[in-house]
Amino acid sequence: MSTTTLRLKTLPGFRVDAAALRPATLASLSVAEIEHIVLAGGNESCEVGEVFEVLRDEDAPAQSPAETARPATPDGYGNSNAAPTLVIDGAARWLDRLGAEMDDGRLVVRGSAGDYCGFRMSGGELRIDGDTGHFTGCEMRGGRLTVNGDSGDFVAGALTGDMEGMSGGTLTIRGNAGARLADRMRRGLVLVGGNAGEFAASRLVAGTVGVAGELGPHYAYGMRRGTLLLARRPAHRLPPTFTNGGQGFDVFWSLLVRSLANEIAPFSQWRAQRLPVRYTGDLAVDGRGEILIAG
Amino acid sequence: MSDAPANLTDASATSAPAALAINGTAIDATFAEAFPMKATRLVITAHTPTWAMHAANSLTGFATSVIGCGCEAGIERTLAPDATPDGRPGVAVLLFAVSSKELAKQIGRRVGQCVLTCPSTAVFGGIDPATSRAPLSDRAPLGSGLRFFGDGWQIAKMLDTGNGPTRYWRIPVMDGEFVCEDSAATVKAVGGGNLLLLARDQDAALAAAEAAVTAMRRLPNVIMPFPGGIVRSGSKVGSRYAGASASTNDAFCPTLIGLSAHSELGAEVGCVLEIVIDGLTDADVGAAMTAGIDAACELGRAAGVLRISAGNYGGKLGPYHFHLHALAAGLDRGRA
Repeated sequence: MSTTTLRLKTLPGFRVDAAALRPATLASLSVAEIEHIVLAGGNESCEVGEVFEVLRDEDAPAQSPAETARPATPDGYGNSNAAPTLVIDGAARWLDRLGAEMDDGRLVVRGSAGDYCGFRMSGGELRIDGDTGHFTGCEMRGGRLTVNGDSGDFVAGALTGDMEGMSGGTLTIRGNAGARLADRMRRGLVLVGGNAGEFAASRLVAGTVGVAGELGPHYAYGMRRGTLLLARRPAHRLPPTFTNGGQGFDVFWSLLVRSLANEIAPFSQWRAQRLPVRYTGDLAVDGRGEILIAG
Repeated sequence: MSDAPANLTDASATSAPAALAINGTAIDATFAEAFPMKATRLVITAHTPTWAMHAANSLTGFATSVIGCGCEAGIERTLAPDATPDGRPGVAVLLFAVSSKELAKQIGRRVGQCVLTCPSTAVFGGIDPATSRAPLSDRAPLGSGLRFFGDGWQIAKMLDTGNGPTRYWRIPVMDGEFVCEDSAATVKAVGGGNLLLLARDQDAALAAAEAAVTAMRRLPNVIMPFPGGIVRSGSKVGSRYAGASASTNDAFCPTLIGLSAHSELGAEVGCVLEIVIDGLTDADVGAAMTAGIDAACELGRAAGVLRISAGNYGGKLGPYHFHLHALAAGLDRGRA
């Protein structure tokens, strides 16, 4: 399958909406057609060819050492030959909505990205080597989104006024996440290799959220169902509306550990034999959520 | 899977019946007639192999024939911890029913009464849609029906343990949680493959049937649903009594040799036992029948195994015909 590369040549001077840059869409266009795609940005706009040099390689998708080291994923996108690939080389925080509503293919961003990366994406793989802005994976529905750096607020959350945040897929932040991580999330898996800001997993409807580092205050606030995985006991005390979760969840834990085997450390290193400490809540709402402290 | 496997239904195999005997045991020029069924595999795991087997035995109890039990079920094999979804020892069971609706009903009842109740167990669907050689059918409810036992405390969880996102239910019970998959894939399968073992006496017939069942149980994707895998009450369709849909197969009853006009037994036959085989595909049933013939013939005429035959309805009712001569082809070469 072909690899299309957009290499930055000129800064546009304004924020750009990059939602049109989807791997499957660009794979079906010629280089000339791609160069004439208009990218909006506020009251201004530019063509792809004005900002990026467009390159096309029909046979050899570009791979970084990190990609080749990563195990094949269940959806098959671990094999870079399996899907049309788009590489954006030299991206930065002025590039918003990268991978928004993407449903197929691979999008590799070499550099950082702006807000709304992977907004409502439903399939494929989006990998960002640097940091991202706010609302990363907001209302995401499927696929795999990986941020190797830090991310802003409302990761996997909902748009203001919307009832549901992320509802499917896997989102991995290797660095730190901002406030309101997974707010109103309903389904899927979110893993943060670093710290999370205040109100992590707040108003969680369901799904699984894992944080390897420290948590800000008010975590699990209003959590109805779902699972908050913690690699260590948080510095902020447990919410008073959580209670002892008891024992006897060994089978679920073994299934959960197995599902994390190909994800980032420390989650991939957890073992079925070592049960976490369990708390359930938030009793102020449904009360069927759980905090599992594996550390 | 084709509805009519060429190698097993080839008319040329019987159009000119030739005498076939292996180790002195005659193989009749006839065929077993089998029928389409709906089936699923369930994987039951538990804290120890013993408790997984307790649940499996209970679930597959009273499941010898769809005529009176609703389904036919049996234990397919035991599973090592590294072969189960939750890493615990397990048992794979197969269930067969005449329709998707009946299969779903039987799964719900049997899992609810026999697995949910059994200490430490969990249950998962055992058919992988990506690799199944049998055509897929509907998904049957598993946890989606049992979850109501949780009385509102149950929790659903979507996890990807390697076969794509799968929905599990966690139902609080007194020893912790009963975990089960939300639903189980079912397939279009084959039921009613059979062998009739005609022997000099009961000792010889039991020895041959036990050897055949032992050989068949080494194969995947099949069960022999009757007690010990063997049935003595082979039946024919219909009865002289109104309301009885099936009655004794008088043609193979040794006490009716001189009475039944349809008797197929010679005076030397003192006992007949049948093995019924249900399988996920016709190839699985055929392979099991071949293994059974081979094992019975290994004992041979010297051990009192006189003939091997099969039950059919003239070939007009079931689409799967397993010709014994085709299945036994080549088995005698090793004994020549």
